[in-house]
Amino acid sequence: MITDVMFHSLRSRSQLIPVEDLIRDCAGSRMPEIIPELLTAPIAAAAAEVCPTRAITTDTPVEGGCALRLDYGKCIGCGRCVEVGDGAIRPAKRFSHSGVSRSELVQTWQTGSGVEAQAGEMHTSARDRVYALLGRALNIRQLDPGSCNGCEAEITALTNPYYDLERFGIHFVASPKHADMLLITGPVTRNMATAVQKTYEAVPLPKLVVAVGACGCSGGIFDRRNCPVGTLVNLNEEIIGPVDSLLPVHGYIPGCPPTPAMLVSGILEVLNRYTGRK
Amino acid sequence: MKGNAANQWGPESGRNEALPLDADRRFTGRLVSIFGDNTGGTTILHYLVDLPGAGYGDFEYVVAGPVRSMTPVAPAASWHEREVHEQYGVEFIGHPHLRPLMRHSRFDSGLPSNGSTQEMEESQFLRVQGEGVCEIPVGPVHAGIIEPGHFRFSVVGDTVLHLQLRLFYTHKGTEKLFEGRVATDAVPIAESVSGDNCFAHAVAYCQAVEGVHQAIVPPKANAIRLIGLELERLLAHIGDLGALCGDVGFAVPAAYCARIKEDLLQASAKIVGTRYWRGVAVPGGVRHEIGSADGRELKESIRIAVEDFVGIAEQALRTPSLEDRFEGAGILAPNRAADLAVVGPVARACGIALDVRRDHPYGAYKNLNFDVPTWHYGDVMARARIRMMEVHASARLLLDYLEALPAGPIWLPLPAISTGRAFAAVEAPRGELVYWLRVEEGKIARCHVRSPSFQNWPALPFAVTGNIIADFPLINKSFNLSYSGCDR
Repeated sequence: MITDVMFHSLRSRSQLIPVEDLIRDCAGSRMPEIIPELLTAPIAAAAAEVCPTRAITTDTPVEGGCALRLDYGKCIGCGRCVEVGDGAIRPAKRFSHSGVSRSELVQTWQTGSGVEAQAGEMHTSARDRVYALLGRALNIRQLDPGSCNGCEAEITALTNPYYDLERFGIHFVASPKHADMLLITGPVTRNMATAVQKTYEAVPLPKLVVAVGACGCSGGIFDRRNCPVGTLVNLNEEIIGPVDSLLPVHGYIPGCPPTPAMLVSGILEVLNRYTGRK
Repeated sequence: MKGNAANQWGPESGRNEALPLDADRRFTGRLVSIFGDNTGGTTILHYLVDLPGAGYGDFEYVVAGPVRSMTPVAPAASWHEREVHEQYGVEFIGHPHLRPLMRHSRFDSGLPSNGSTQEMEESQFLRVQGEGVCEIPVGPVHAGIIEPGHFRFSVVGDTVLHLQLRLFYTHKGTEKLFEGRVATDAVPIAESVSGDNCFAHAVAYCQAVEGVHQAIVPPKANAIRLIGLELERLLAHIGDLGALCGDVGFAVPAAYCARIKEDLLQASAKIVGTRYWRGVAVPGGVRHEIGSADGRELKESIRIAVEDFVGIAEQALRTPSLEDRFEGAGILAPNRAADLAVVGPVARACGIALDVRRDHPYGAYKNLNFDVPTWHYGDVMARARIRMMEVHASARLLLDYLEALPAGPIWLPLPAISTGRAFAAVEAPRGELVYWLRVEEGKIARCHVRSPSFQNWPALPFAVTGNIIADFPLINKSFNLSYSGCDR
């Protein structure tokens, strides 16, 4: 009976994961990580060859090596590059590219020299400033303009007792008119374009837009521009493209789907950047 | 058609094999899917059916002019025929309303359009008229963390007289996206058809590719696939029951179920490195080994999770305030369910014993004997109860399999047969999921995905009509259909 349920609830221990453990955690996301010392030109070429969304590409050879370019915004974490990476590419344990700008999702490494040729601008640790910045409550309206619902499943998990986004004063709201932030998943389909535009217009100023998932960041597997070179690809006119093909985007949370920890890190990072500015 | 024409149906007289009809001129089998394919400029219709006693059958028909609609003898054909009409321009004679299904009028679809866009949009909806009738449009953007779709309610007071769906807002042209890809390489696309059932989609796709290659999957890989499929079912059903409790304002079991689901996701992340088993299935086997120590650990996590879940869910379902909301809400009559050929827990809650795992066993299920639990009444409570029973059944399977995993390789190379056709069905958490594949020289020429949601969505309005509109979210949740899986 209902009282049993209540007692059951009172007896159980708290499951809440401390925010320090969530920031930069990406366990279970399958995002790859490059070990620069081990990276060679053949590995880079093999990784670019197997990548299904052109997240990994190689640039023109420079002094016997070549540059490997990894776009986390396109990565769907299929793990194929890890299989051919021979130790130079492995699943990441820590991930610092959540909630950043589009250009910061891209990293380039020079093979042979072992140096990171052009790192994205690394942001300072959000951890120390999280509590100080979140004095105000943030209302989020989640919007799905065509996602496969993988991202929705993980966003729903943010309200469970492990992540409990409400502890930061962050709520999911039912109406865009109550929202400060739009959390947008998936590629924008042609059928949803008008609804996305109208939803954005209904959010009062100032408003933040966060693109979630590989599809939200880059169109992911659904965008024909991400299809591997050499595959005959049909013109996919059902898809308009990533979120930023329609709306201005303040932060990007990559992953396919991003884990709840990456979502928490990303949302806090966007807040960190944009509430600090005011 | 030959012989006693009154008891048979075919797209056109005398041209192809006929399908059986009963005395009321209803199709006696179960319609699985109708889809088109184009080879060398010729459009071919495929009628995928499940005939009693004979199993799955793929009936082909070459289109040479207008085709007789199957909808009058099998109402489940309606959406399929609308889809084929839109994709291939095939005219179906006798279809009640061949309006576009997937592409909303913003598209220049090349189909004849009479009048302006706005008129065409509105003409798609049935106007219910009379004193006190009003229309409530809901969506496509809904109030929650859910996918988009439009519902047009016609109500008198609180009572729903008519509900019309307009879906396909997440239509991404996924079937087209498969075309031209190397067949053994396209699993990530299948995984992105419906993200919360990604493993069932991946396995169904892999089985279709293996069918083309006539490949043999090693026993260990089949066992790992079974574990992934049943774990996905557990996750879906535990999540659904929690969400159903949440929809009637019963927050404690909702939070409990969310916690238990998360426990299982974290166990998956630890053992296979991915929360939703993405990237695990591959044609020819699986990509992730589960060792005996990992198996024991996963088994223990599942045992604890299921024990916790059963404890809380049994108590929740016995709570009078919840019974009051669940019982009698959203009844789907068994004859409607059969007419619309619904699948999965929705069918089983109406007493229709249908389960691909038993009826058309695949992989490790070939060695299993099991009962398909059914329930009656077809209301929200029945759909909740069915999910409870399936959690028990899945947990038993998982615990047995994790106890003694077979030895051997987890992947075998595919035989070099690179041209052919095959279809495969899997019992996904939402029901029968079918992939039909035609591969030419290693590349996909046509891939048709029939998700359980596509089959079940048309049944939802029948369950909602006559209920109060405030019960709609609950009834919708009890169906728990995937928009993306349906829209593709």
